Amino acid sequence: MADADRKPLLDRAAALLAGPFLLGRQALSLAFLSDRETPSEEPALALQRIPVTPPEHAIKRRG
Amino acid sequence: MKTRLPDHGPVEAPRFWRTLEERVETPEARQAAHDEFLPGAVPAYDDVHGLPPQSGVSRRDFLGLVSAAAALAATVGCDRKGQGTVVPYTKRPVEVTPGVANYYASAFQEGRRVYPVLVKTREGRPIHLTGNDEHPGVRGKTSPRAMADVLRLYDPDRLRAPKAEGRTLGWTEAEARLHGALQAAKAAGKPVLLLSGAVVSPTRKALLADLKAALPTLEHLAYEPAAGDAAEEAARASYGQSVAIQPRLAKAKVILSLGADFLNGEDPETLAAWGAQRRLKSAKEPINRLWVLEGPLTLTGTNADHRYPVAPSRLAALAFTLARELAAKGLPLPAGANLSALPGGAPADVPTQAWASLVKDLQHAGRNAVVLCGAQMPAAAHQAAHLLNAMLGSEAVALSPAEPLATTRDLEAAVQGMAAGRYAAAIFWDVNPAFTYARAAAWKEAVAKVPLRTWIGLMEDETAAQCQLVLPENHWLESWGDYATPGATVLQQPTVGTLYDTRQGEDVLLGLLKALGSAPAADYHTYLRARWEKAVLQGGTFEQALHDGLVKVEAKTAALAFRGASVASAERAAKGAEGFELVLFPGFAPHDGRHANNSWLQETPDPISKMTWDNPVAVSVQDAQALGIQEGDFVTLTLEGTTLRLPAVIQPGQAKGVLALALGYGRTTGGVAKGVGANAYPLLGLDPATANVRPGARLAKAGGRKELSRTQSHHRMEGRDIVRSLTMDEFLHHPQGHHHQPELVTLYEEQKFPDHKWGMVIDLAACVGCSACVVACQSENNVPVVGPEQVAKGREMHWIRIDRYYEGELENPKVVHQPMLCQHCDSAPCENVCPVNATNHSPDGLNQMAYNRCVGTRYCANNCPYKVRRFNFLEYTAYKTEPETLAYNPEVTVRPRGVMEKCSFCVQRINDVKIRAKGEGRSILDGEVTTACMAGCPSDAIVFGDLKDPKSRIAQLVTATRAYKVLEEVGAKPAITYLADLKNPVEGGHHAN
Amino acid sequence: MRTDASVHAVPIPEGLLEPALTVGKVTPGSLDDQVLAFPETKPPKQWYLALAVTLTALGIGLACIGYTFTTGIGAWGNSSPVFWAFDIINFVFWVGIGHAGTLISAILFLFRKRWRNAIARFAEAMTIFAVMCAVIFPLIHVGRPWLAYWLFPYPNERALWTNFRSPLLWDVFAVNTYFSVSLMFWYLGLIPDIASMRDRTTSKLRKTIYTVLALGWRGAASHWQHYEKAYLLLAGLATGLVLSVHSVVSFDFATSVVPGWHMTIFPPYFVAGAIFAGFSMVVIVLVVVRETMQLKNLITMRHLDVMNKVILAMSCIMGYSYMMEGFTAWYSMNEYLHHGFMNIITGTYGWAGWITISCNIFIPQLLWFKKCRSSYFWMILVAIGVTIGMWFERFVIIVISLHQDYLPSAWRIYKPTMVDFGILLGTFGLFFTLVLIFARVLPVIATTEVKAILPDAQPSHGGSHE
Repeated sequence: MADADRKPLLDRAAALLAGPFLLGRQALSLAFLSDRETPSEEPALALQRIPVTPPEHAIKRRG
Repeated sequence: MKTRLPDHGPVEAPRFWRTLEERVETPEARQAAHDEFLPGAVPAYDDVHGLPPQSGVSRRDFLGLVSAAAALAATVGCDRKGQGTVVPYTKRPVEVTPGVANYYASAFQEGRRVYPVLVKTREGRPIHLTGNDEHPGVRGKTSPRAMADVLRLYDPDRLRAPKAEGRTLGWTEAEARLHGALQAAKAAGKPVLLLSGAVVSPTRKALLADLKAALPTLEHLAYEPAAGDAAEEAARASYGQSVAIQPRLAKAKVILSLGADFLNGEDPETLAAWGAQRRLKSAKEPINRLWVLEGPLTLTGTNADHRYPVAPSRLAALAFTLARELAAKGLPLPAGANLSALPGGAPADVPTQAWASLVKDLQHAGRNAVVLCGAQMPAAAHQAAHLLNAMLGSEAVALSPAEPLATTRDLEAAVQGMAAGRYAAAIFWDVNPAFTYARAAAWKEAVAKVPLRTWIGLMEDETAAQCQLVLPENHWLESWGDYATPGATVLQQPTVGTLYDTRQGEDVLLGLLKALGSAPAADYHTYLRARWEKAVLQGGTFEQALHDGLVKVEAKTAALAFRGASVASAERAAKGAEGFELVLFPGFAPHDGRHANNSWLQETPDPISKMTWDNPVAVSVQDAQALGIQEGDFVTLTLEGTTLRLPAVIQPGQAKGVLALALGYGRTTGGVAKGVGANAYPLLGLDPATANVRPGARLAKAGGRKELSRTQSHHRMEGRDIVRSLTMDEFLHHPQGHHHQPELVTLYEEQKFPDHKWGMVIDLAACVGCSACVVACQSENNVPVVGPEQVAKGREMHWIRIDRYYEGELENPKVVHQPMLCQHCDSAPCENVCPVNATNHSPDGLNQMAYNRCVGTRYCANNCPYKVRRFNFLEYTAYKTEPETLAYNPEVTVRPRGVMEKCSFCVQRINDVKIRAKGEGRSILDGEVTTACMAGCPSDAIVFGDLKDPKSRIAQLVTATRAYKVLEEVGAKPAITYLADLKNPVEGGHHAN
Repeated sequence: MRTDASVHAVPIPEGLLEPALTVGKVTPGSLDDQVLAFPETKPPKQWYLALAVTLTALGIGLACIGYTFTTGIGAWGNSSPVFWAFDIINFVFWVGIGHAGTLISAILFLFRKRWRNAIARFAEAMTIFAVMCAVIFPLIHVGRPWLAYWLFPYPNERALWTNFRSPLLWDVFAVNTYFSVSLMFWYLGLIPDIASMRDRTTSKLRKTIYTVLALGWRGAASHWQHYEKAYLLLAGLATGLVLSVHSVVSFDFATSVVPGWHMTIFPPYFVAGAIFAGFSMVVIVLVVVRETMQLKNLITMRHLDVMNKVILAMSCIMGYSYMMEGFTAWYSMNEYLHHGFMNIITGTYGWAGWITISCNIFIPQLLWFKKCRSSYFWMILVAIGVTIGMWFERFVIIVISLHQDYLPSAWRIYKPTMVDFGILLGTFGLFFTLVLIFARVLPVIATTEVKAILPDAQPSHGGSHE
């Protein structure tokens, strides 16, 4: 078939290179969780979040 | 790779076969043998070999899809460090729709002044305040400090749980201690001191009465250090009771201010009336005239038509002389007024001709004239003002009885009582006497003798440090309450649930009541509601009152008889010692010190001095010259043994021999407030009549210099046509002034605006320079605060600023104010120089900023003739955590370092209205879009709208004769039109009538 | 040219004859020994000492840049309204320094000014180093330097494009073009010399490096033919750049609306200023090179004399430009422009204005005297003066114009911080580090070009004149 029908070479090459690369990086980051291990303090931080609750008995004007 | 099969069929039966079908050569088997691979495993077309299509997906496509899937999977898995996660509500709170703002009516109190407000909440968080538009007085306006107080809700310094002796404890334990002590006091019949702020709330008043009934030994003092003891003292002398004085400028044709700063932004009602009287379409319309006699230059003084610098101690004598001259012209002198001791002749402080004009003006205006006296001025001046108003029969001032305030005399008595061990317990509720009381050392010593000291408040302050029991209070946006205002009883309702383990002060008192044996209600909400249903609501529902935020009531005109005033009091005020006369006034930002921890306010420039984050002592031009003081020089200010070392600023227009210093600075607690400025409270006098005006101050250069954190360092206009100011005469005869603007030509095609062309008109005659717009913008647009060092370097971030220029003689200059913000130029110089197109023009005339695209070359800011672009020189936002981040408006991007920002004409509000209008299938109505500055402007000086709509208010205003554009000659075609300032001086014997 | 004379056999009058461009007996062989052998000698202690100094300066600069990256532009004195200060001053300053090299190597080459041959190599190298110093600033001065590549129009999936109306974008192209053409021009000229060094050296490492760098130059006639053509072409290209680069840099200012920037005189004025500053820097460096590298016979006092004359001419053009600025301010009756000009001579920064005028206009007038043009003391004094003066000229243009523009409410005094000075010091460190290294590893004089102007290169000339 005509070459014109082919998808651009660069797009394919990029997908072929980027796909495994990104997948591999993801796999590695799953295998070595060092990067994600840090948030030992993060759950604590989440607990520290200030609760925002609606006011009791108040009547809003609009919204 | 697939091998091509021969076209012809098998010539003989296969030698080898896999299935029986193949052996017997059914057509299916033959086909299956031909199709080597199962459907889908081979390409639809083999573009390499030109083979016929056999299945849906090619290998190429397959691989492409696999890699795309892998890439997507990996991308989805990507996570940048520090990125937050967005989690939907697991339990959505009632009435909270993500992305939709809720508005609640509530109210805020500062001293005796009440601000009915409308609170905007997003996702349950209060983020922006405006005035309550239902209120007949404020009509949707409020004050800069009220608007900024939303930030206090999220102050990280807020106390989050009760404390005793520095140890955090639960409410039960804390209350047990308090109740025990007070039960014991009741049993022993020992007095208990309760010190609170002004009582403006009828329900709070009722609660205090209940408490007094349950605890007869309770001594309650309402203490407002910024209210002005002299005013209280004078009111009691003149009317025999405490009085709240509300100007009614709508009825005033001639106003005489005796050091009264009624245009300083605190009073939205007065500012609205002022604006309405000044926004003239033609010179034939009536306008008021403002005469100002004052010592320091105030915002009101800058807006005067005639202003004369006069030492505050002279005001009483001047006003009494005025009364005598008016009496001589036939105005009735009330009984009890004795002016015989006055020296004869016109006073030397004011030029003779001007004096004559003033007398004539007041006389002609009669009941349309009003004399207003500054709260901090000596009591004698107040009394003289009361006398003058009585003589004039002024209708332009409303007097109403008020709950009494404690003066220094009462406080001094309390100190003596404490020192003598009279009190069994003391409760300090929302007051900070350890900081605001003049004799702080004596106070500390006395208070230590009270067995149980309880403090109720928002943030631990100097007084909390002296108390054993420290109880955290709700912010007012988390509390219930009500207020009596002229024309309406206002409800205060919580707009958010309590953020911390706090209670409102009234609930603490209710708990106390319960412990003392009487329990009117379970909580303050119930108590308030019961009282409202009984006493306030007449037919209406409580829900409707909460919805409106108020119940309208008839404005009662109190019959307050003037009892008379004596010149002797004027004598006392005028008896000056040697040295300077020091005027102590509440600071624009911190007020009495309660707002000192609010960084928005600290960074809002003082409207006159343009100082932020500091209270330098203001010295008159003449005195600075005599003492050789330069701006920023450190000086020592000594008064009766108290010495302060602080920087000086030279204040044009300030009366010679007068020093002015703001109170509320120099706090020793609070992450923001600590160490900002110098504490001037120790300089306050103990005589209530002259507490804020102190003679005998000494000033000397102390050596050294401070880099002033000032937002404006050049104060002259250099003869440039920037702020146009017309007298009424000029307005009548040549409103365009002598400015001739040749038609500007351009080589470029004019920009087209197909649907809308947003524009703004700022009426400089109505603008008083109060800076409410600055705070409103800061709150709406997440404008960061940078701190004093950065302000000193010129890196403040305000999107709107008020330029203030002095003109003429330095001793008493003419002052003009000009709000300056992005002009959204049609031919914007900033746009074409940005190399990355980060700033560009929208089809509806907005000069817009794409923060994400901005690289930060700062070229746009260089090329902006108005210098309204702000650059994030440092990281001002990223370090912020909760609760500070809760104050952010989620509709406005928070800008990181290295990015340029500027006024967006509140594009988020425009789009909000656009979307709403589109959803309702209609066009945008005029006035429907308001920018934060416009909504915040109490004098309605700012009008925003669509210039393409010929019927819009703005389209009519831009054609006004006073209209002009700033720096029009640059050719940037700004979208903001200014209307020239108007002054109404006496010209050619033309007097108000 | 000279062949014409010999054909007609008419003796050329003594006065018209170009004096010898070298001193003493210089033969192609001795030239090679002198210049090409130099990089193989061991550097003296002073060289290491100088390098230590320049590297320290460079280190300080790098530390300051690192600090700026981590804290933001707020580390500098820049503020509102002076949003640009040392960053752009230094950028314009260093781009300007570079101009002398291109002028000497390209324009003077096209004009067949044979005296340029001995100094062209060094001047060109200085161009490249100066432009390297200059390009640091546009990169580090942006608020978010990690996004500085957005200034290049590259295709991207977000369909974002640069703004071709912005002079800053023109700058990107102008400076990039300038740097790449200068580099090619310089490298092209180096090829024959590197080939000679390759052939001379005995060190294996050097031989390998020079072999790669010489690109297979064998000195064949066809090589020379191509070389000469390429050199001429690049000279032609670079000639345009001498005028265009600083004109484009001046557009950053001239196309803006800032009073004091918005001037039609800026392009020629900037080009003249650039050549002025560049020649002064070349004089300073050449005097040192000449003394320390024993090149007195090749870089003669005549070279310095000619250079000083160029400096003097440029100084006069600068004087004219300054006067025209004043004239424009007065004649335009534009109050903003008038205020801006008065600021230069009487304002807060009036001292900077007077440093500029004194160093650029008054002091260089000394060069009218032959004695000053031939005295190290005076010429170095003038050259250093001009370097300082030209830096302050950019300070005057940028800071004075910005600190008081249209609305007096926004006016503010600018104060630089130590980081600003540190980065400026760092670029001097970089520049002189590169100069020092260059002087030790590459032939500082284009031997092939000097050989062409040796007395023996033209038999008729050499015979009659020696």
